[in-house]
Amino acid sequence: VHPNVSQGCQGGCATCSDYNGCLSCKPRLFFVLERTGMKQIGVCLSSCPSGYYGTRYPDINKCAKCKADCDTCFTRNFCTKCKSGFYLYSGKCLEKCPDGLEANNHTMECTSIVH
Amino acid sequence: AVQKAIIRVIPLKVEPIVLEGEFANVAEVTPAEGKLLQSHPLSLCNTSEDEHTESGFITIVKLEQPDRDPNPCLSLANKAKLAGERGARAILFDITDDESAADQLRKPRGLSQPVVLIRGHDAELLMGVVNKNREAHVKIEVKEPPAWPDYDVWI
Amino acid sequence: RLDANLISVVPEKSFEGLLSLRHLWLDDNALTEIPVQALNHLPALQAMTLALNQIWHIPDFAFQNLSSLVVLHLHNNRIQSLGANGFDGLHNLETLDLNYNELLEFPGAIKTLGRLQELGFHSNNIKAIPENAFVGNPLLQTIHFYDNPIQFVGQSAFQYLPKLHTLSLNGATDIREFPDLKGTTSLEVLTLTHAGILLLPRGMCQQLPSLRVLELSHNQIEDLPSFHWCQRLEELGLQHNRIHEIRADTFVQLIALRSIDLSWNSIRFIHPEAFVTLHSLTKLDLTDNQLVTLPLDGLGGLTHLKLQGNPAVSEPLTKESFPKMRVLEVPYAYQCCAYGSCSSFFKMSSQWEAEDMSPEEEDPHKRTMELFPGHADNQYDLDTDDLQLDLEESKLHPTVQCTPSPGPFKPCDNLFE
Repeated sequence: VHPNVSQGCQGGCATCSDYNGCLSCKPRLFFVLERTGMKQIGVCLSSCPSGYYGTRYPDINKCAKCKADCDTCFTRNFCTKCKSGFYLYSGKCLEKCPDGLEANNHTMECTSIVH
Repeated sequence: AVQKAIIRVIPLKVEPIVLEGEFANVAEVTPAEGKLLQSHPLSLCNTSEDEHTESGFITIVKLEQPDRDPNPCLSLANKAKLAGERGARAILFDITDDESAADQLRKPRGLSQPVVLIRGHDAELLMGVVNKNREAHVKIEVKEPPAWPDYDVWI
Repeated sequence: RLDANLISVVPEKSFEGLLSLRHLWLDDNALTEIPVQALNHLPALQAMTLALNQIWHIPDFAFQNLSSLVVLHLHNNRIQSLGANGFDGLHNLETLDLNYNELLEFPGAIKTLGRLQELGFHSNNIKAIPENAFVGNPLLQTIHFYDNPIQFVGQSAFQYLPKLHTLSLNGATDIREFPDLKGTTSLEVLTLTHAGILLLPRGMCQQLPSLRVLELSHNQIEDLPSFHWCQRLEELGLQHNRIHEIRADTFVQLIALRSIDLSWNSIRFIHPEAFVTLHSLTKLDLTDNQLVTLPLDGLGGLTHLKLQGNPAVSEPLTKESFPKMRVLEVPYAYQCCAYGSCSSFFKMSSQWEAEDMSPEEEDPHKRTMELFPGHADNQYDLDTDDLQLDLEESKLHPTVQCTPSPGPFKPCDNLFE
């Protein structure tokens, strides 16, 4: 075993090393980069943390950040829940709803005006 | 001839250390300084954006053995280029476990941010600083090559 | 979420009644076909991924009832063919990801996607992009199609895309003419390399007022127009062409131009005023041309200059001509002598006269102390700012990297003068 690799990898890592943490994950798990001070290590999770979205690829499943105004998202450009102060409309976070739509302060979404 | 680099590492509130590395020809040989930040090798890929937005840092990448990353997302030269585009003023590669990196980074590419290779005991000291401290400042300087002796040339 | 399972079939009524379902994950399963029937009952669906399956074909009207869909991911499947009406009904689609499939032809079915902004079909087997390829997609901002064996691109393929920022075409060897980019006015980065372009149209810059980066290396360009109207141009790559002359008006008034690569051409003459108006120019590569002399007017701001491979350029280069130089490549070693490469150009601080001290033999603790002789015996507790001051005196002067550097057998004095 390479001297630099800790005997048992943490959590869902398939391979890991002291300095970099996880290098690859067990099947189905998502790879996330975590920074603490100067250090940056890889960790493996069953789903991406809040503020991140997951994309599956043949060789790795990765978490990446949503946009700054978005809490949860499907892809970077398609938000599913906006941060407070923003209204969700068709995957976008808006400070004001477009004309013809009204702001629903309960769901924090722009909805059609019901006559 | 390999151009040596002096790496002054100044952790906050702990005694500084001075290490040595070598400039890689892929980039310019030029001094640089900034805050030290480790980057995971997989953070330097097009599909992953490092969450660090502030620029002006110096990044250290601990390279793993090549067989542990059989098809890397980018070449080392392009990883260095990407780090520069993300605001790194210099890129340090710990090549203790991947000596082939030196060959990969030998071909000049004119990258503006210097790329410095570090290995062995010096690399261990540097990674030790990363592991045990929250913050450190780094200065990279060009070590003066010994002046070439005088030759009397007769024609 | 149904991702990362072993689903090979989605029964027709699987999603019946889910009238409010907005986001569906079916990626990383074993589907070989689009579950067309099951998808007919999802009027509110906005985002769906079918990536990482074994789908090989998209039939006509596969998504016809998904009028609310905004994002559709189909990457990493085996899609080889696509019905001409495969995407009919997707009136609100903005993002379509067809990367990493086996498409043999350009996905013409995209013509009905009037709101498409992001399109990816890189890493497929597509050989041609037809005329008017994106005529139905005026809102396109990004198109990724690298890693396709593209040989032919229609002249009008990339017209009328007013929101497109980047266009990269590499290796399309059948391209002989520069594409007509009428109406694609926001283009900032244009890369068109390893093709067969002979001529750049006179009105090229008028079509591309926002152009910042123009990369045309590895073509067959002989004569350059004036780039005058490319007023925002910052980087110009023309290496590996057949250019033989740079005229006074070639680069005139390009006040944002920082970098020009003209290496590997046949340039014999550069007009004395060719660089005069280039106030931002810092990098100039003229490696391997047929220059006799280099006009210096306008080059005072250079930090990088490459002239190797021009044997007739033998004049010395004074430091006064290039006060900001950092990287210099010249035909002869004696031309480096003006840059102090003959003796140590910078002085080490006295504290650190590390002439031949190899790091391995030293104890780091000793090395540290040497740096701060006054603190040999105690544990000191310096803030970074204090340390900064101590180190300032040992600040090294920046060096100029000049090659070929003189040496015992490449002396500074030109012996034959």
